[in-house]
Amino acid sequence: MLNNPTINSTISLPKTEFDTLLAALRELGYQTIGPRVRDESIIYTHIEKLSDLPQGYTSKQGPATFRLVKSNHRRYFDVIPGAQSWKQFLFPPRTHLFTVEKVERWDIQPNAEKPPRYAFIGVRGCELAAIEIQDRAFLRADFHDPVYRARREGLFILAVNCLHPAGTCFCASMGTGPKVQGGYDLCLTELEDTFLIEIGSELGRDVISRCQYEPASGFLQSAAAKGLERAAGDMGRHLSLDDLPSLLTDNLELEHWDEVGKRCLSCANCTQVCPTCFCWDATDHTDLLAHSTRRERVWDSCFNPQYSYVFGGNTRPTIKSRYRQWLTHKLGAWKEQYDTFGCTGCGRCITWCPVGIDLTEEIAALRKEAQA
Amino acid sequence: MTALPHTAVNPDQLLYPYWAEITQIKPETEGVGSIWLRFEDPAIRESYRFLPGQFNMLYLPGYGEAAISISSDPQDTKGMVGHTIRFVGNVTKAISRLKAGDVIGLRGPFGSAWPMDEIEGRDVVIASGGIGLAPLRPAIYHILHNRQKYGKVLLIYGARTPKDLLYPYEYEQWRAGGIDVQITVDRADETWDGQVGVVPMLFYRFRLDHQKSVVLTCGPEIMIRFVIYEGLARRIPAERIYVSLERNMKCGQGSCGHCQIGPYFICKDGPVFRFDALEKFFNVEEY
Amino acid sequence: MAADPEVVSALKNIPWFAELKPEHFNRMAEAATMRHVRAGEELFKEGDKEDCFYVVIEGRVALDIFVPHRGKVRIYTAEPMDLIGWSVATPVVRHRTASATVVQAGRLVGFEAEKIRQMSEEDHDFGYIFMRRIANIIAGRLMVTRLQLLDMFAEPNAETRHAQ
Ligand SMILES: Cc1cc2nc3c(=O)[nH]c(=O)nc-3n(C[C@H](O)[C@H](O)[C@H](O)COP(=O)(O)OP(=O)(O)OC[C@H]3O[C@@H](n4cnc5c(N)ncnc54)[C@H](O)[C@@H]3O)c2cc1C
Ligand code: SF4
Ligand code: SF4
Repeated sequence: MLNNPTINSTISLPKTEFDTLLAALRELGYQTIGPRVRDESIIYTHIEKLSDLPQGYTSKQGPATFRLVKSNHRRYFDVIPGAQSWKQFLFPPRTHLFTVEKVERWDIQPNAEKPPRYAFIGVRGCELAAIEIQDRAFLRADFHDPVYRARREGLFILAVNCLHPAGTCFCASMGTGPKVQGGYDLCLTELEDTFLIEIGSELGRDVISRCQYEPASGFLQSAAAKGLERAAGDMGRHLSLDDLPSLLTDNLELEHWDEVGKRCLSCANCTQVCPTCFCWDATDHTDLLAHSTRRERVWDSCFNPQYSYVFGGNTRPTIKSRYRQWLTHKLGAWKEQYDTFGCTGCGRCITWCPVGIDLTEEIAALRKEAQA
Repeated sequence: MTALPHTAVNPDQLLYPYWAEITQIKPETEGVGSIWLRFEDPAIRESYRFLPGQFNMLYLPGYGEAAISISSDPQDTKGMVGHTIRFVGNVTKAISRLKAGDVIGLRGPFGSAWPMDEIEGRDVVIASGGIGLAPLRPAIYHILHNRQKYGKVLLIYGARTPKDLLYPYEYEQWRAGGIDVQITVDRADETWDGQVGVVPMLFYRFRLDHQKSVVLTCGPEIMIRFVIYEGLARRIPAERIYVSLERNMKCGQGSCGHCQIGPYFICKDGPVFRFDALEKFFNVEEY
Repeated sequence: MAADPEVVSALKNIPWFAELKPEHFNRMAEAATMRHVRAGEELFKEGDKEDCFYVVIEGRVALDIFVPHRGKVRIYTAEPMDLIGWSVATPVVRHRTASATVVQAGRLVGFEAEKIRQMSEEDHDFGYIFMRRIANIIAGRLMVTRLQLLDMFAEPNAETRHAQ
């Protein structure tokens, strides 16, 4: 055991010590959240100990396909996650904002609940990039979302390098993975018997110092590096960014938009699973006597017909126009708005689209038509 | 609770409204009325300022919010803000049932403004239709207060029928203040001796000096489109045509995503745009 | 026949006339007479067959169509420099399709359509310039009519409102 782990150094944490790490985080006041098997998929929820994690699983993913596979390996972080992302914790699907009571006049009570402090366990490169993309939307110089900010500021991130990408992954194309690009407190690479952990912050250093860790040998480090290199070549999909965003923003009237518009169901699955989609709506819930109104913020989607409704009609009445809005935003206008693409290459929208629409293929088809 | 100077926006609470009392509801035309609001908090009443073309989000608990342009005089607030509302749906119809003394929530002001400073020295053509005159009225007041700073000022305003014309009781004052006020209606009966036709048509009745003119326009999007055609046909460049657009919006702060057009959030980058910024997608159907 | 000097000076102020070749201008002026009109005066009625068109110099003229049970619907007003009764420029349309009533007193120049048609036939250069002017006016009226037809200020009906 070493005495003094330093920021940016790498240590080795025996798997048996992982529960100590989780306990240390809870001691510091964090709720520990991580992947768990439920209903033949992977969800993100509370975890207490290493054995809560999906040991021995991988996932088979393709357009409209997700299958959890139990194999004989003993690793915990090999399974590429399911539909859920960390978005649901920082930008909850439903948030109570305030309640208005009618006494004599309107009386308003902001939601006084203390924002939860989360420790995310197992954030992949694409997922961490997605959090940083949402930071740009919710934490701007001229506006910050108080709900998001409170959760984000209290966040602890234990990231994970991806060694076994799935069939719908293309983070290597987007430059967000498989190696985590920074922004974490701790970053883990899973080897057979141990976790290699890079320390990214003072907080991370503090947490590690509470565990029985070991030095990371050169052998272990080069094994991890090799694994990552292999993973980068193992991406199920590829997206060329050369002509983006202008390929989309300059070609709003290609025929292919009609074609994909015919396949898309406008079900909004893609926006719900996407870790960067940030659109929301506000709703009022009133008690029967209309004395008290609860105002909530809920997720919305550019695929919802109501989304672009204005008195007298809808600015995007067709499915084609909604799909076009979605894709030209993600890989087009987003770049101008936030100086980044709105896509990290996580592949969720491909896996969870009921009709298997694959944005990498749609982009390729649009490109072909635009170049014709 | 900290409020930014001059605004009724709470940076620490999402969608948090400031209460304002309705001091007056004034019926304007069939289905349209003006409401005057006075903040309950004296500090906000003092500090609240807005620019012509900006809007507020008005909130009625239980119904929700609606984006409504400010239609009153930016210079002469007396602690009150005026809005002219077309009562069309859930929120706006509920607002129409309120009376003086009732209280309503307000956040704002939001959005970009008419470029009143940049266009000093120019001939100004204000082309508007229907409720679209409401967001332009603060600009008209601004011009009246600073008439010598502008060249010729022509207001072309159209409505469906003579009964639908907004603010008819103010036209004479505007004319007296040096604005050429041209009114037209889509259709009328034989008792109407004013003009019948549409707003874009009035462009070719006037000689516009294309070197000097700017166009400010707001109204039904189809009208805006034709006004732009007429302006461009008269060689007024896109950089001197300003339009105010409407899209579904929930937050007014460029966060909820609803009001996007291309790279812009209409609520924060607009609603007033210089047309050259929009040219690329303005005519793309359903964009 | 010499042109009426009042007609000549009025037409000279209208850019389109001022740009005509002198020879064309003179012949048009010779086919024209000045009319001083009062508010309420009816220039022509739907169904009439008189064969002339007018250029408004001062005042305002309204075009109405009579609709049973609704009375007169005012569809257009002509302002100074505008032209009304243009359909007589073609050799086929003979009946007036709307009524024209003066709503603000003023002056109009009336042209004998038959003479202008003849001039156009004899001198196609003139005919082209004249028809080009008429085409411009028709295009403008068509734009106005289309926008009126769209009824852009109307309450949208339930169908379009809820069409997803
Ligand atoms: C920048 C801006 C300025 C505006 N200024 C005015 C004004 O000065 N006077 C005025 O009468 N109206 C104005 N409007 C339109 C006004 O916001 C809508 O008529 C109003 O939101 C309708 O709400 P509702 O609940 O009564 O209607 P509903 O039809 O019940 O609408 C339900 C929801 O749809 C959305 N919605 C419906 N119509 C519109 C619309 N036209 N624009 C944006 N969102 C819409 C809203 O989110 C609304 O909550 C403005 C709109 C914008 C964007
Ligand atoms: S667009 Fe699809 S692949 Fe890209 S981040 Fe969103 S869900 Fe993942
Ligand atoms: S692309 Fe697929 S997931 Fe997205 S709305 Fe269309 S059908 Fe649903």
